Amino acid sequence: MWALLGLGLAMLIVWPRWGLLAWWQGQRERRERELREDALKHLLKTEAEGAAASLLSLAGALRVGDGAAAAIVAELERGGLAAVEGGRLRLRPAGREIALHVVRTHRLWESYLAERTGEPEARWHRLAERAEHRLTPAETAALAAQLGHPLYDPHGDRIPASGDGLAAEAGAALEEFTPEQPFQIHHIEDEPETVYAHLLRLGLRPGMRAYIVSRDDAKVHLWADGAEYSLSPGMARQLSVLPLSGVTAAALRGERFLHELPAGGRARLLGLTGACRGAERRRLLDLGFVPGSLVESALTGPGGDPTAYQVRGSLMALRREQARYVRVNPLPGGAA
Amino acid sequence: MNPASPAPAPAPAVEEILAQARRLREGIPGDIHEHLVESLYADAGRIAERSVSRPDRPARPTFDRTLDRIVTSRVWGLPVMILLFAFMFWLTIAGANVPSQWLAGILVENGHPWLRGLADAAGLPGWLRGLLVDGVYLSTAWVISVMLPPMAIFFPLFTLLEDFGYIPRVAFNLDALFKRAGAHGKQAMSTMMGFGCNAAGVVSTRIIDSPRERLIAILTNNFALCNGRWPTQILIATIFLGSLVPAHLAGVVSAGAVAGVALLGLGCTFLVAWLLSRTVLKGQVSTFSLELPPYRPPRLWQTLYTSVLDRTLLVLWRAVVFAAPAGAVIWLVANVRWGEGSVAEFLIAGMNPFGLALGLNGVILLAYLIAIPANEIVIPTILMLTALVARLAGVGEGAGVLVHADSPALVGEVLRAGGWTVLTAVNLMLFSLLHNPCSTTLYTIYKETGSARWTTLAAILPLGMGVTLTFAVATVWRFLAG
Repeated sequence: MWALLGLGLAMLIVWPRWGLLAWWQGQRERRERELREDALKHLLKTEAEGAAASLLSLAGALRVGDGAAAAIVAELERGGLAAVEGGRLRLRPAGREIALHVVRTHRLWESYLAERTGEPEARWHRLAERAEHRLTPAETAALAAQLGHPLYDPHGDRIPASGDGLAAEAGAALEEFTPEQPFQIHHIEDEPETVYAHLLRLGLRPGMRAYIVSRDDAKVHLWADGAEYSLSPGMARQLSVLPLSGVTAAALRGERFLHELPAGGRARLLGLTGACRGAERRRLLDLGFVPGSLVESALTGPGGDPTAYQVRGSLMALRREQARYVRVNPLPGGAA
Repeated sequence: MNPASPAPAPAPAVEEILAQARRLREGIPGDIHEHLVESLYADAGRIAERSVSRPDRPARPTFDRTLDRIVTSRVWGLPVMILLFAFMFWLTIAGANVPSQWLAGILVENGHPWLRGLADAAGLPGWLRGLLVDGVYLSTAWVISVMLPPMAIFFPLFTLLEDFGYIPRVAFNLDALFKRAGAHGKQAMSTMMGFGCNAAGVVSTRIIDSPRERLIAILTNNFALCNGRWPTQILIATIFLGSLVPAHLAGVVSAGAVAGVALLGLGCTFLVAWLLSRTVLKGQVSTFSLELPPYRPPRLWQTLYTSVLDRTLLVLWRAVVFAAPAGAVIWLVANVRWGEGSVAEFLIAGMNPFGLALGLNGVILLAYLIAIPANEIVIPTILMLTALVARLAGVGEGAGVLVHADSPALVGEVLRAGGWTVLTAVNLMLFSLLHNPCSTTLYTIYKETGSARWTTLAAILPLGMGVTLTFAVATVWRFLAG
């Protein structure tokens, strides 16, 4: 009896592939592989930024000790993935391919979360950090095909093609802009997560059109798609932006949004703001909220929300936070 | 395929073309799919403007505008809605009474003895007669006579309102309320349907096209007190709570208690919706849209036909499919012997300590276990089991035969003999609201979600809440009673 029990216990531990020992070993190997892949990703990113990676920067990026970082580098060298040249770490072609795959999978996964799920944005990065080590190149290719081969991830980063290089970040820092100079928010840095989540809560999203209202030492006041935001300089540094040509700040200020339309007011639809994305955006487009449509604010709910709009022959109720996404050009004499 | 078409270009050239396509795509600002949608709409709009001629009238008739102003107004919106639904419920309850009694008279009071006689005349052995006539037939007949009339009245009325275009206005009015719980205004409709039948309520969530809000509506539909549970609530409240106060207040107190339970159900709907939308359903896609269609004169006959066929008969059929085997099980547990007594007595003795801790008893738990297909037969099963365990003579027609309660007074006598107190009654009312949905509803949830996981959650969530709440009430009650 006891012998049988002992045998069962031993088998539970040492059974190949399914035993506890094998499971633990598998976990350790996975963890080590993830560290190696993260190391390669770090090398690729520093390379794209035109900087040089060192053992020190690697240890910092992976949050491990110097000794552990050295062990990882030795492992990469053995595998022919990276080389050390005069204290600098360089990617070798095989390593670059793996790193590109990891970055590509990360950004595609974030696109997937943005387009096909309702996961809150603050969680995207963390979930993608996990998924980037799990998908095989074939699975990543299938994911890209399923999403229609997107070029940019929801943060505005370019998704590298396989066999492609990693481009440097395109956006410029907010500090380079003067007040009243229009720009488009290109990218919001998603690390650290708390700061990122705070910016999201405020309502800032890539794709929004904005300009700086005023700036002093303590705060940056920002106008973006109809609302004003005041950011600390630290938070403002998380944004990278692209200059917007062909519009002036005054023209941006003159833009109106659907939720501002008075009851009975009519307007010509200009488009959806960049903050509206994924399923939500497709839904609004499907309902006929496309540039050129005529909308009329027809009916307001008893609590002031939602509001029903007459658009393309049907009466559609939108909640206030959806109506904020719709840029309109009010028509005169509509209010009746 | 044209056979003369040139052979596929060699791979390097294809790659060159793909790379160029990618470069060109990068040159296009914004999202290419969106440009496509926008230009499709623009083209369609242009074509329609050129080729479609409209009679000269406003996009929305004055009648629609006026009616919309009234039914969605801050002042009149809510009263109109409450009056309309109160009238609907009244019509359902009042109208169903007569056909229900008529059906019960035919199927249960006359049909059952007649079938028994027929079985005896055919020389069927006693156990087979019991299993088929007392078990399968009786519980099926019961479900039909209790369930069919109210559903055949409620659903067509509801469909008429829907067809007219009023229901979307209700969703519009209540959306602000549901939004706070993370739900969709259209859930107002599926909850309303749930008051008729939860299985039908679950099916009606199809109109919610946002996946997250639809799941919320499905998982919380059970908190709408369904037609099968109203009679239980009313009966128990009348017997145990109405008798606590002077006779002239009895009606008010018992009606108030039932309304309280129904309101508690609504409270649970919002609470659970709020919790679900912030936890397990966080990752589901959510998009709001609500169309307010133009008002239409309801198509009376077509509505009657489709609503009877689609909703009433479908749900009834499913209930019967589940009720027939349950009848067999009920008869078997009461008649198959296990040691000293029947299986039922054995199970009841086993579950009694747990039941008592919840302020209920073993009989109630067993009844909910074996009467899972339909809430309608819970009370008859409880009566039968109580008579069986307490060995009451003269109640019902023997082991395994559902007891038809002729008068509340008689039911009260039986239950008090089974050891029921006011606490048992209160907790039964609570447990009747908060327990797993009937198997018909569970099956419907499985069909609608296609997921065993959501179905399990739909069963465990209310059951867990019910066990917790009844246990808490029983504990506090006993503490206060000393």
